[in-house]
Amino acid sequence: MIYWGGNPAECHPRHFTKYTIMQKGKYTQNGRKDRTMVLVDIRETPSAKAANLFLQIRPGKDFELITALRALIKGQRVNEDAVNETGLPLSKLEELVAKMKAARFGVIFFGMGLSMTRGKHMNSAAVLMLAAEMNAFTKFVAMPMRGHGNVTGADVVMRYTTGYPFGVNLCRGYPRFNPGEFSTVDLLVRGDVDACLVLGADPGATMPQPGIDHLAKIPTIVLDPKVTHTSRLARVHITTAATGVSAPGTVYRMDEIPLPLRPALKSPYPTDEEVVRRIREAVKRRPAWLPGRNGKAVM
Amino acid sequence: MTLNIVKNATCTFCGCVCDDIELHAEGEKIVETKRACSLGESWFKHHTAERLFPDALIDGHPATVDDAIERAADYLVAADMPLVYGLSNVTCETQREAVSLAEMVGGVIDSHTSL
Ligand code: SF4
Repeated sequence: MIYWGGNPAECHPRHFTKYTIMQKGKYTQNGRKDRTMVLVDIRETPSAKAANLFLQIRPGKDFELITALRALIKGQRVNEDAVNETGLPLSKLEELVAKMKAARFGVIFFGMGLSMTRGKHMNSAAVLMLAAEMNAFTKFVAMPMRGHGNVTGADVVMRYTTGYPFGVNLCRGYPRFNPGEFSTVDLLVRGDVDACLVLGADPGATMPQPGIDHLAKIPTIVLDPKVTHTSRLARVHITTAATGVSAPGTVYRMDEIPLPLRPALKSPYPTDEEVVRRIREAVKRRPAWLPGRNGKAVM
Repeated sequence: MTLNIVKNATCTFCGCVCDDIELHAEGEKIVETKRACSLGESWFKHHTAERLFPDALIDGHPATVDDAIERAADYLVAADMPLVYGLSNVTCETQREAVSLAEMVGGVIDSHTSL
């Protein structure tokens, strides 16, 4: 298994022990001993200790490295100077390719170090291509290391309700998808949207400043268990119960397995689900802004 | 105070979503988080059921949830292109409600994935 641009030892502490290298499987009776773990990252994080092979690459060279690997697995010649640019000698790449091909079942877990650096979506696309092409030799998959809580669930729910995983524009009454145009950062930085409902996130702490400025300008509504940075610049804040601690429901694990929550506490606040439903009902009571809308499908 | 033990509870702090955690809750606090890692432990212990914040705020002033919901609906209906954003720390049930709301107000819906 290959971890690329992630630091599971610190960010997903139980990933190793619970799901990947330590577990015993039908074909990996000896657990860790039967597995090979490779870590690709720009610096030596604590995760490197767990790896059989650690490849330290130059920042921003992920795409180049993936492209070189894709060529190597197909036995094509690559330019050695171009490979050296990535910070790794060709021999290391060949070693990695040999390990990948020798695997009975390979997996690439890619983290934010890959998908948030130079190349962004293109890097993720390249990793997925690499995994797909490896299937000519052995079973190989790729999976993103998802961050907080239920982002995976958001993808899944939007996929089965709208057909697209994120950044879905429903302005025309049917879904349109175009990352870069309808993604939050772009919408906010360009100042396209004129109201915002924020739930289960704190963009006031994470967005680029122009985006935050725009959030402060327009009516922003925040649902959160706490008064967050975003709440402070919002017009409306509603305190809700904390998901998983005092609010029940379903969440998706990063491999898209839905799991039920078993809350241990009873919150004095309503759940997000209840508040969103009540906002929806309140919207329904208001006059439609387009004829035939407000819950009735536009034909 | 009675100890409320929840077996196989689910931690939602990181994408691992470990579902084998044993929580011991005492009153409004979680006091013990068996099998959770250090991140998960602080996440569970950090969230209590105490009433630490006002129910709702409108323009920074305490308000009732009912008023806040009406105000939220006003803003969303009045907007030409509202955005529903976040969705990471909420349940799938909430996400479905949010998609339906976004459709109704003719807006954009987006999650952390796009960042
Ligand atoms: S217990 Fe740790 S590894 Fe498991 S979901 Fe919680 S934070 Fe992640």
